Amino acid sequence: MSCWMLVSFFLRQYWEPLWPLCARGESWVSMMEALGEYLDGKKESEEDQSKSYKQKEESRLKLAKLLLCGTELVTNIQVAIDIREIHRRVEEEDIKRQRIEKLENEVKTSQDKFDEITSKWEEGKQKRIPQELWEMLNTQQLHCAGLLEDKNKLISELQQELKKKDDQYVKDLKKQSDDICLLLERMEEQVKNVMKTFREELYHIEKAFEVERQELLASNRKKWETALQAHNAKELEYLINRMKKVEDYEKQLNKQRIWDCEEYNMIKIKLEQDVQILEQQLQQRKAVYQLNQEKLEYNLQVLKKRDEESTAIKSQQKRKINRLHDTLNNLRSKYAKQIKQFQEENQSLTLEYKRLVTQFKELQKAMRHFALIDDEKFREIWLMNEEEAKDLIARAFDVDRIIHTHHLGLPWTAPDFWFLKNVGPISQQPQKSAMQIVEEMLLRTEEEEAEEAASESESYLDLPKQISEKTAKRILMLLCDESGFLIESKLLSLLLPLEQSECYLLRLDAIFSALGIESEDDLYKLVNFFLQYRAHHLSSSLQSKPCSQASVEEAGVEGTSMESELELAERTEMQGEKEENLVEGKKEKEKTPPSPWVIHPNDVLKILEAFVMGLKKPRDSRAPLRVQKSVRSKSKDSEYWQALTTVIPPSRLNLWDALYTALEKYHLVLTQRAKLLLENSSLEQQNTELQALLQQYLTAKINSELQVPPTQVLRIPTK
Amino acid sequence: MQDTVTTSALLDPSHSSVSTQDKSSTGGHTSSTGPQPSKPSSITPVPAKSRNPNSGANFHRMRRIIAEDPEWSLAIVPLLTELCIQHIIKNFQRNPILKQLLPEHQQKILNHLSPNLPLAVTANLIDDENYWLRCCMQRWPVCHVAEHGGSWKRMFFERHLENLLKHFIPGTTDPAVILDLLPLCRNYVRRVHVDQFLPPVRLPAQPQTGDRSDSGSEGEMEEPAVDHYQLGDLVAGLSHLEELDLVYGVKDCGMNFEWNLFLFTYRDCHSLAATIKACHTLKIFKLTRSKVDDEKARIIIRSLLDHPVLEELDLSHNLIGDRGARGAAKLLNHSRLRVLNLANNQVRGPGAQSLAHALAHNTNLVSLNLRLNCIEDEGGQALAHALLTNKCLTTLHLGGNELSEPTATLLSQVLAINTTLTSINLSCNHIGLDGGKQLLEGMSDNKTLLEFDLRLSDVAQESEYLIGQALYANREAARQRALNPSHFVSTITASGPENSVG
Repeated sequence: MSCWMLVSFFLRQYWEPLWPLCARGESWVSMMEALGEYLDGKKESEEDQSKSYKQKEESRLKLAKLLLCGTELVTNIQVAIDIREIHRRVEEEDIKRQRIEKLENEVKTSQDKFDEITSKWEEGKQKRIPQELWEMLNTQQLHCAGLLEDKNKLISELQQELKKKDDQYVKDLKKQSDDICLLLERMEEQVKNVMKTFREELYHIEKAFEVERQELLASNRKKWETALQAHNAKELEYLINRMKKVEDYEKQLNKQRIWDCEEYNMIKIKLEQDVQILEQQLQQRKAVYQLNQEKLEYNLQVLKKRDEESTAIKSQQKRKINRLHDTLNNLRSKYAKQIKQFQEENQSLTLEYKRLVTQFKELQKAMRHFALIDDEKFREIWLMNEEEAKDLIARAFDVDRIIHTHHLGLPWTAPDFWFLKNVGPISQQPQKSAMQIVEEMLLRTEEEEAEEAASESESYLDLPKQISEKTAKRILMLLCDESGFLIESKLLSLLLPLEQSECYLLRLDAIFSALGIESEDDLYKLVNFFLQYRAHHLSSSLQSKPCSQASVEEAGVEGTSMESELELAERTEMQGEKEENLVEGKKEKEKTPPSPWVIHPNDVLKILEAFVMGLKKPRDSRAPLRVQKSVRSKSKDSEYWQALTTVIPPSRLNLWDALYTALEKYHLVLTQRAKLLLENSSLEQQNTELQALLQQYLTAKINSELQVPPTQVLRIPTK
Repeated sequence: MQDTVTTSALLDPSHSSVSTQDKSSTGGHTSSTGPQPSKPSSITPVPAKSRNPNSGANFHRMRRIIAEDPEWSLAIVPLLTELCIQHIIKNFQRNPILKQLLPEHQQKILNHLSPNLPLAVTANLIDDENYWLRCCMQRWPVCHVAEHGGSWKRMFFERHLENLLKHFIPGTTDPAVILDLLPLCRNYVRRVHVDQFLPPVRLPAQPQTGDRSDSGSEGEMEEPAVDHYQLGDLVAGLSHLEELDLVYGVKDCGMNFEWNLFLFTYRDCHSLAATIKACHTLKIFKLTRSKVDDEKARIIIRSLLDHPVLEELDLSHNLIGDRGARGAAKLLNHSRLRVLNLANNQVRGPGAQSLAHALAHNTNLVSLNLRLNCIEDEGGQALAHALLTNKCLTTLHLGGNELSEPTATLLSQVLAINTTLTSINLSCNHIGLDGGKQLLEGMSDNKTLLEFDLRLSDVAQESEYLIGQALYANREAARQRALNPSHFVSTITASGPENSVG
């Protein structure tokens, strides 16, 4: 085994250096090939040169073949060695296998022998007799020696083989070196061959090219010469032609010259004549020219003067223009100034106007205010005067009464006049607004309801007499409930927290404003309209009834009946259990057919529509009415005042006069009596006073002192 | 005289006539002036080489103009610039002045610098190819600059580094020798090609040399001590490294052969794997003739999984078996590998099957080499099946794989369908006569295959010849296509009759 490795190893060791050589050879070959191909390529470009191309193709093929054969020849050695190596390997494997088999056999046999010997040792141990033992030992020794000999033999065999292999190795080395030499030789030979052939081929190709070139040169030269000859011949021909032409042309020239000369002369004569004529004309022209020149000069002078003039005018005009421009500018500035001024004025005037308007408005306001105040004052004065008058009248009446009762002993009745009851100015009967009425009405009805008073029959309204208050209220409530759409939604939301009555009030306010109901009259109209509508409706429905005496036309009657009807219904509804009413109601029912007292809510809108349509017309004629109102009052005033003065009739005055005179007489008598009485009393007084004085003197001390006391003297008289 | 003529003719053939005229005129002069016509012929090359006008003063007195020496001037005293340049050249090692000079002067200096200057001075300073050309020519008699990307500087550094690595003995050589070079060569080395790694020298060196004949078995016992140079530091330092071509073995050992000279230890393997994994610029990795077995191959391949740029992997002439082949198959679909070479290993049927499985849907691999393995019909059929679906592979080498007729029948189907394959090698197999016929049938439908090697594979000569004709037709067609790609269709139609004629 080791031998085989050894040999194979050495084979490699000594073969390897060959490969590069081979490779080098191949590379050389390939280089040559490349060279050949290059030459080929070079030649290929001149493909049209068939001869050289052929030669080149030929040599290329030849060279390719040569190269192929050469490389094959060189590589043949490698291949041969390869196959030799393969054979050797196969053989080596065989030998190796045999050797291993042999060794295994040997191992087996020797093992057997060894086993035999060892088994005999066991036997030997049992032997007791020395001779036998000795014998046995001898035989054992012999066996061992045999075994050893076998082994030695084997070893020597193997060593011999090794030696053989060594020899083989040396031989192989030699062989390989020989091979290498051969290879080198072949390569060199190949290289030489290739070089030689290449050179030859190159020579051939060059020769072929040379020949071709020569041929080409020859042929070209021939061509050239023939062409040159042809050219020369043509040149000659051309020359001759040319000369001929030259002669022709010369002849023609001569002819032409003669002809030209003649013509020249003729023309010359003609032209000279022309010149003469032209000279004459020139003279004429010159004369004309001079004349013209003079004329023109004169014209020029004139024109120059004119020009000067025109320049002067021009300058004047220019100056004028300048001036006008100045004035224009001045005017413009003035104009602008005026515009400004007027604008300012305008502004101030507008301001003033505005101020005046405001003033006017204020004045109006003041006027209104004063009118109001005047009204008020008027009213107050009126009232004051009235009061005064009434006081006077009352006094007069008192006086009259006293006279009548005390003096005349007649019964006295107070005279009854309309104007006595009047309070305030007559014409200014206040026109209450619809709302006020409604408010009052509502308040009143509420009060009534709260009291539950049965005194419904009492009607305090200034309402048209036919309509009771309750009915009106009903209608208004209905209206309020049904025509909520006329009220603004904002208002509704605001109304929520308020009391019911207030709520109704405000709602009605909104509805009236929407419908255009402003005054009391309108309100009554509305209520009436409702009632009428109902009546109409009812009548139309109740026409067939025999007991319906009320005609449709008679609105008043119908109204009253309706009123009663409504009142009845109201009553039945509100206090339906009250018997007396029930009886009354029955009585009433007999009179008029029973009917639902309520206006159906669905009809409310229709009624309203009709009402609004009807209301439109009277409204237009409203504005002038107002003015009349304020004017109208005066006649009545004077009348009123006049009436006031004639409270006491003239007959009574006469009576009073008579009475007066009588009383005066009576008074006179009485005064005389009074005077007498007075005298009487004064005389009494004097008497008493004199008595007092006498008393005093009598009682005085002086009396005592005095020789003759007066007292004594006098006492007696006094007593 | 003739000498000058030939040199000038070599230099510039167009001037040759002028120079000859010149010569003749000068000849005329010389004949008029003097007695030594033979002398100048011996001297003429001297000024050209030494570039010292003074040395040829004698000659210049006779000749006014020398056409072939561009630096010749009438001035007898050299210019100051000339003197300065001479001085700079002389002291370049101590005081390198180059970049500050005018381009023409730079050129002059570079032309005259000695190639023996220390690398520390020149490496990063001089980019001039001519200088490095001279350096290379001085050191090595044979230079293939094409193998080094056409750059003489790169070639110089790569070969210099290769030399150092080749003669590096672990334990005795100072590793600084290589690491010192690293900053100088890091920008120029793209390829590291080392075909031998010396093992460390063991202490009993004398006895080893004495009885080397039977030390083969002993050597194997001391394996742990024979690690080679660790490339990690070096490769990490080389920023432009693209190719790594390594052989863990000793060259030219001859009869001093020892097994332990050719050990690729596990430590070597691990460090190498880490090195190539860290090197993200690596495009080509070759590890040949290094006794890489399955385990080591798997270690290396694992480190190459998902490598960003790796394009070529060459593990030929090793001991890789089926497991290693399976690893390589996995690598095919986890990298951008374009070339895979597993020639002369121990891949058998299962390994080839796994490779075929990976190949079936691979879109990167262009070339696959399984020469001198033993995949047999089992693996061959699997590969043929894979090629029915593969649309990328162009080169397939299955020489020496014990293939026989069944593979050939399948391959004939492949030939009829596949349009990417251009080269197949089935040499040294047992295709047999019938297999050859079937391959011929397959070939008749193929228009793309250019090479088909069937040598020594028991194919009838007639079918081999016919296959050769078909290949020839294909090659012609390919040539036509390459010459004028625009007339692709027409050339194919044109090649039809040619084919029938062939």
